[in-house]
Amino acid sequence: MAYSVKLSDYLDGDEDSVILEFESDSEIDELGEVDEDSSHSYSEVNEFSDGPSDKKDTGGSRYLDADQKKPSWGRGLTEMAYESSGVPKLAYSCLTTDQMFDLILARLERIQPIFEISYGDIIVMLQKYGWSEERLLEDWTEDQERVLVSCGLKLATSSNRSRGIQDHSDFVCNICCESNKQRTFRLECGHEYCIECYKHYIKDKLLEGKIISCMSCSLALKNPDIDAIVGDNSSQTLMRSSIKGFIHKHNNHYKWCPFVDCNCVIQVTNISALSEFPRFHLSPFVVCNNHHRFCFKCGLESHAPGDCQVAEVWVKMAQLESANLNWVLKNTKECPKCGVNIEKNGGCNHMTCQSCEYEFCWICELPWEGHGGGFFECTRFSKDEKNGATETKNSLRKYTFYYKLFSEHENSSKLDWALGLAVEQKVRALQENIGISWIETQFLPESIRSLIEGRTTLKWSFPVAFYSDPSHNLTKIFVDNQALLVSAVEDLSQLLQVKDPHDIIARKLEFYNKARFVQSRNRALSECGRDLLCKRICVPRG
Amino acid sequence: MASLPKRIIKETERLVLDPVPGINAVPHEDNLRYFQVTIEGPQQSPYEDGVFELELFLPDDYPMEAPKVRFLTKIYHPNIDRLGRICLDVLKANWSPALQIRTVLLSVQALLASPNPNDPLANDVAEDWLKHEDEAIAKAREWTKQYASRK
Repeated sequence: MAYSVKLSDYLDGDEDSVILEFESDSEIDELGEVDEDSSHSYSEVNEFSDGPSDKKDTGGSRYLDADQKKPSWGRGLTEMAYESSGVPKLAYSCLTTDQMFDLILARLERIQPIFEISYGDIIVMLQKYGWSEERLLEDWTEDQERVLVSCGLKLATSSNRSRGIQDHSDFVCNICCESNKQRTFRLECGHEYCIECYKHYIKDKLLEGKIISCMSCSLALKNPDIDAIVGDNSSQTLMRSSIKGFIHKHNNHYKWCPFVDCNCVIQVTNISALSEFPRFHLSPFVVCNNHHRFCFKCGLESHAPGDCQVAEVWVKMAQLESANLNWVLKNTKECPKCGVNIEKNGGCNHMTCQSCEYEFCWICELPWEGHGGGFFECTRFSKDEKNGATETKNSLRKYTFYYKLFSEHENSSKLDWALGLAVEQKVRALQENIGISWIETQFLPESIRSLIEGRTTLKWSFPVAFYSDPSHNLTKIFVDNQALLVSAVEDLSQLLQVKDPHDIIARKLEFYNKARFVQSRNRALSECGRDLLCKRICVPRG
Repeated sequence: MASLPKRIIKETERLVLDPVPGINAVPHEDNLRYFQVTIEGPQQSPYEDGVFELELFLPDDYPMEAPKVRFLTKIYHPNIDRLGRICLDVLKANWSPALQIRTVLLSVQALLASPNPNDPLANDVAEDWLKHEDEAIAKAREWTKQYASRK
């Protein structure tokens, strides 16, 4: 967490800079509207968030957390490549859960005058109405009383009981059945239980983000009740959880980052552009603050050069066919020379057998010699390898071949993430031991990002190759491009294995060059893949 | 074993002293959180005259967490699957700590009286139920006779 901007820093700061930090190089004019909205909300924010600011968002130590300071390469390479050519652009921003909540408050600000009740109560009603403002407003204008009762904000019959914490000398709680309870809580409905049971009950429900009601009836607990019972500003936690429902309802505009443990929300501000993408065989890829790239349309990770259709068909096919394949291909391989079992535990495909010191390529199991140079043939499926096989057998073999490559690169990219964590350590070591400034160490995270993006493109290029007509010239060019990217990626991956900090600094230029090379090869391959799709040489079929 | 919460002791006592008609729940002697339950099929339902065995377990977090209930006797019902798992709101989202073992078992009995094929757990059964209700009811009656007759 060395470089992340803490949440509290920008909660107090002025809001323009916040938005700009996230949107360093995209359409600021598109965001004008959002900007305005959120500026209204800040007065409200303080009301809800003067407690200790959210720990959950700052907890994960991720190596790429230097996000807000990212220079222009923060956005995807492919996006940048297309920006000049008149194809659609997506305007989006990445929000933390807190910013998301502020945004909801800003929306509520607009409708609050109609209700003239507190924000907390409006949220309760919206939750009951599945965040459909239209339906709520409709019912509200028809019969306010009924809406209030059905949302648990009011009792159907009047009651002279008071709401709140009560003191007793000897109360028997019907939940825990313990006697001698001194402090209890009740709502106007008269259902009264001890404070310990209520605490337990509420704590269990805070993260669900739904209305918390009396244990015996549907009368809702309000934020002040929750804070009085549990303390610690717990109602805030509940309010933050309630954004789940909001996002679910407005999933055209908002999506959670699909990566595990990532709490980022992507907001797209020009959703009309979304429908433009398929025409160009492009996909609306977005990058969250933690540098996870995913497709806003299908929710899969970045799958360029394939489009959503390629990805969908491929994933479906993989699910059908790969259960067994996975088992066979997973984890180990025998050394082609001495037959000893080898487990791959790093991202690079240049293997050296520990037992016989034979050097080979993990993918094609041929000697490594020549792989760095011009004869890199691993990505080529040689059709005439064995003739005489029947058509179906051949097609399965072809699929197996491509699937194998796909999963190899998938595994490698997982290992690359691990490598990324190690890189963070290295960066810190460089700063602490050699006294090099933060900005000067940034070539390392940049390299790893290029590596991961390159690897992801490679991975998804195999489905494209699989569905392409192998006899077409463009397919051949595509395969050549693949091979070039493979060798660029492997080169960079190998360089990133260097451990000695002095050595790393000395080879800084090499890092730069190799990363740049991966980026340009990545771009070339993506463009070529898109060409295949546009010219219908690549046709995904289930 | 950790001492049993007072709530569970009270509920158990009441189940024994003031049993619900047609429902019998006895805690296991080795584990007082585990109950062996029998429910009589409600009258005027396809399950009439049947006696169904169930198991009920009170998790550590009970009563904040719902009890776990499962049919042990084979039953043909759109909301109960082949493993005896039950699709019932009070066992899941609508559980409230103010509910009890007896209220849950009453709800299960009520589910037998009014199956809900529109919110199915056993899809094949529910489909039968919606398409050929008479046949489905006959089958439920047959299964009751075959698997749930009073011993």
